[in-house]
Amino acid sequence: MSHLVAKLSKSVDFIGAFDPKIRTFDIIMKTANGSSYNSYVVRGSEGVAVMDTVKKEFSDEFFLRLESVCKYEEIKYIVLHHLEPDHSGALEELMKRAPKAKLIISGRAVMMLKGIIKSDVAFETANTGKKISLGDKTIEFLSTPFLHWPDTMSSYLHEEKILFSGDVFGSHYYDERLFDDEVGDFSYAFKYYYEHIMRPFKQYVLQALNLYSRFEIKTIAPLHGPILRTNPQYYIDKYEAWSSEDKFRKSTFGKKMFSVFYMSSYDNTHKMAEVIMEGADTVEGIVASMYDLASLDEKNMIDLLEESDAVIVGSPTINGDAVKPAWDLLSCMAYLESQGKIGASFGSYGWTGEAPEMLHDRMRWLKFRLPVQPIKIKLIPTEEELNDCFAFGKEIAEITMGKMVEMEI
Amino acid sequence: MVNLYLKDDNIKVKVSNSKSLREIARKSGASMEFGCRVGDCSTCVAKVVKGNELLSPITQKEIFALEAMGSSDKDLRLMCQCSINADEGEIEISYFF
Repeated sequence: MSHLVAKLSKSVDFIGAFDPKIRTFDIIMKTANGSSYNSYVVRGSEGVAVMDTVKKEFSDEFFLRLESVCKYEEIKYIVLHHLEPDHSGALEELMKRAPKAKLIISGRAVMMLKGIIKSDVAFETANTGKKISLGDKTIEFLSTPFLHWPDTMSSYLHEEKILFSGDVFGSHYYDERLFDDEVGDFSYAFKYYYEHIMRPFKQYVLQALNLYSRFEIKTIAPLHGPILRTNPQYYIDKYEAWSSEDKFRKSTFGKKMFSVFYMSSYDNTHKMAEVIMEGADTVEGIVASMYDLASLDEKNMIDLLEESDAVIVGSPTINGDAVKPAWDLLSCMAYLESQGKIGASFGSYGWTGEAPEMLHDRMRWLKFRLPVQPIKIKLIPTEEELNDCFAFGKEIAEITMGKMVEMEI
Repeated sequence: MVNLYLKDDNIKVKVSNSKSLREIARKSGASMEFGCRVGDCSTCVAKVVKGNELLSPITQKEIFALEAMGSSDKDLRLMCQCSINADEGEIEISYFF
């Protein structure tokens, strides 16, 4: 390994670890040239704070760097901005080596801590506004939950204007030159990271940016990839633009998007889709559209799902299941925020007809709002059944526009 | 009958007999978010805007979760731990707060 200890400022050193060989991160993310697990040491006149640790198998590298910049007895605080294992992997060992250090975590991290360290350890919780002192250095905490773990927080070193942003502004991009003005072009990795990690939590990104805006930021020190010191505002603006809904058509034109996604074997589910769309389209304020899942790739699915206020999924039943493209569509919700979206399902069937109910159930687990029960039709829809489909689309569209749902349970 | 209003989903439910909020969420199609469903993860924390006294008493798990979140708001409840415990009245719940 390289013995690099990079200085971010007079009193802050990088002591993280590099993982150039990793190609798939967190099972779902590709990393073309590896990643890094960033951690930092902040030195004050009355002690040292260690900001995060690394993935367990990189502990040796982390401790070697740590020992080259401070002694364990100098460590006054250990700050974990969130407890994901790629940043808490060396925590237990660090606490053994620095027994006098006080662990600082967010309130939401308490229960996760018990899952990571099985013995009782002393800790303090931090919420927005809490400060810790290292003598001539002050670190202030900011609660930035769900970015991308529920317990995520950020912190700000006042004297040197450094934002420790947790996973926010991270990239899976390995380059030991470390600073954004020295590494290669990582812009694709920065955007890819946002799209896969932060995109489902846009409202929380905007809340965090609002908190960050209280401070003058000279350097952003994220937990993965390059340290951003040349123009931090550039990266903040990117997050702002990607998280703001202004770019979406629905808010631009004040309409609600009602999207009917379907697959059809013998045109029956297709017919249902058409009539559901027609019913929805009669409702003022709704723009209804339909999409054949056979011709949508994943990126288009994600973009359409994100724009849609109502997501209606239709599938025939084949061998007791919905068809694969319908499941593929719903699996794209992993990259998006589903809470608040309205969902429904439908389909024609020949023998058993489980698909609409299975899709309905899956959407419930994905936290869609499902005000209407699924609709299924045996083989070719009659005129009366198509009228039901029309009413189904209209009812869901009216609820999408704000009609109150009333029921007895 | 208890009138339950789920503010963020704009759903009004008339509930007979005592039912858990989990069951009500499932049957009404509400988008109330649940995680572990046993009171450990705090995902389902929601604000009872009205009628907290009509719900089952606060559990130890809820007390611990609120302490961990640093909140002293007694109207914040874990939905997975709550049932309606009354025959009539008005309850209003908000989970985006």
